[in-house]
Amino acid sequence: MTADQPAGEFVPTPARRTNPITAFVKAGQVVPVLLFFVFTNGIVNATSGAQRPLLGAGGVAVVVVFMAVQYVSWTRFTFWFDADGDLRLTSGILQVSQRRVQLSRLQSVDVTQPLLARIFGLAEVRPEVAGAERRSLVIGYLTLDDAHALRAELLARAAGVRTGEPGAAAPIAPENVLLSVPTAVVLESSLLSPAALVAFVVIVVMVVVAVVSGNPLATVPIFVAVVAPLAGAVAPFLTFFGFTVADSPDGLRLRFGLTSHQLQTVPPGRVQAVRIEAPVLWRHRGWVRVVVNVAGSPDANEAKDHPRVLLPAGPIDVAHMLVQRVLPGVVIESMPLIPAPRRARWRAPLQWRRLATGSDARAFVTRHGWLVPTWDAVPHARVQSVRVSQGPWQRRLGLSTVHLDSTPGPIKPMAAQRSADEARVMAQEQVEWGRRARLAAPPQRWMRPPPPAVGGDAS
Amino acid sequence: MSGAGSIGPSPGPVPAPGAAPWPTSIGRDPFAADPGTPWVRISPRLATARRMGAVATAVLVAAVGIGVTTAAGGPEWGFVVLLVVLAGLGWVSWVIGRQVRAMGFLERDDDLLVVSGIMFRKLVIVPYGRMQLVDVTAGPLDRRFGIAKVQLHTAAATSDAVIAGLPAEQAARLRDHLAALGEQRSAGL
Repeated sequence: MTADQPAGEFVPTPARRTNPITAFVKAGQVVPVLLFFVFTNGIVNATSGAQRPLLGAGGVAVVVVFMAVQYVSWTRFTFWFDADGDLRLTSGILQVSQRRVQLSRLQSVDVTQPLLARIFGLAEVRPEVAGAERRSLVIGYLTLDDAHALRAELLARAAGVRTGEPGAAAPIAPENVLLSVPTAVVLESSLLSPAALVAFVVIVVMVVVAVVSGNPLATVPIFVAVVAPLAGAVAPFLTFFGFTVADSPDGLRLRFGLTSHQLQTVPPGRVQAVRIEAPVLWRHRGWVRVVVNVAGSPDANEAKDHPRVLLPAGPIDVAHMLVQRVLPGVVIESMPLIPAPRRARWRAPLQWRRLATGSDARAFVTRHGWLVPTWDAVPHARVQSVRVSQGPWQRRLGLSTVHLDSTPGPIKPMAAQRSADEARVMAQEQVEWGRRARLAAPPQRWMRPPPPAVGGDAS
Repeated sequence: MSGAGSIGPSPGPVPAPGAAPWPTSIGRDPFAADPGTPWVRISPRLATARRMGAVATAVLVAAVGIGVTTAAGGPEWGFVVLLVVLAGLGWVSWVIGRQVRAMGFLERDDDLLVVSGIMFRKLVIVPYGRMQLVDVTAGPLDRRFGIAKVQLHTAAATSDAVIAGLPAEQAARLRDHLAALGEQRSAGL
């Protein structure tokens, strides 16, 4: 597939397995689910005393069966690097599948430690590859050291660094910490969220009801209503606790998590689009959030436990610095933005004042949002396709929307509610910018010198 | 700064707004408005195929509806249902005709343009260098009418460039042509 990669250049490595206690840890993950199921369904209450040992035995049996299945699937899971330097995975109990992961297309490597695995000092490695993979790849569990070594090896191979003789570990690239978000900031930003606000209101209502009725039990029905928003307020704190960004030749390394811990690595040039959000609740602090699109499986991009966040909360200067790191040359703050026409207020009454769009030789920037003023930026070289759409109401007003399609992720860059004539010119210009940017695209294996220009087929 | 409507420095010469091969207006039937443009229209066989599908649905709805209302309220209610279904069918087949006439595509040097929609109009521009794969599919009804659907996929899930209702051999030719162009101009993500 890769033109710059003659077959057989690499020495294949022997097949490797994950850590033997993988099955044990994975089976352990069903225990809380089982307990939750048993208790919430009132099975414990429904059974009489004599039946309870039977219930316990049933639970143990489920766990044992689950463990047996996990054990067999562990014995069937192997991974190695083939002669082309690509990653191969085999797995499956009944239906054996073999996957080949083209490392020149590697977008990011994450090392995640769910709580239970973390207790045992284990971690899983998740390489994200652009393309047709629907489900994300997970190699786990490995000991934390093995996971870091595998991550380094994946990145080194993806970068095109030859590791010499087989078995020699790729050195872990040195790093330089750029910033860490103080715990107080993570905490305060989590508490200044819509979910926390809802939780606060519900708690106030509970207190009022308890005082007025003089009966604390009267608040029990309301208590249910506080659980979801409270969880929503606490979740970002648990997820982004100890958020640290470090720079290394591998790319940016992001570390975060209180209960479960993650290390995400985004190699250079793999960020497809960035977003800066400035929620109105954070305005007095001047904090913003930075989110990115990284090409990968749709699963990974939709997953809540797998956020693509560069900065959970921090000053705008830091945000701009990070944007410069991941998309060099893309300046959001100084881009002149042209507002949408005034008649856009009939179509977007809340956010029409914020709708504005600008473009320079490097990137396209758009501003939108009402309670959360948002800036989206996408470099011309990363735009997949350009769309212009117009609904019936927009047609009455002479408006259309220009979409610059990015890879799946939280950011969907679009210039909303532009005048129809302008949208037509804009789409045409964006396509032309994209064409020029593609002609000047850097190599896929970023540590290699660019191949000599022959024929122009650089894939 | 090329003229009105530009949101920043211009990337260089782009065709003047309105000039062929750009549609005179997004969605305003670019073919009827300007028959001289090289846009490729969609075969009316697609409209026939879609109408057949609509007829099949209408028959099913009518059968159930008439059965139920006749049993519950008498045959005169069954007749009312029949009229309603026929009116609905007429409207749907009129919409299908307009929809198919609103579809078209245009192959340019570096990209493919696809237009569609009457109520919700859409123009998709897919650079050949961004295509990841090109699908040709044909359902049972399509095969009866000898037509097929060509779908372009990029790394973005939202690109959504579909050309329906191409004669089967033209679809295969377009797919091969697009695949060849895509390989030539392929760019990394």
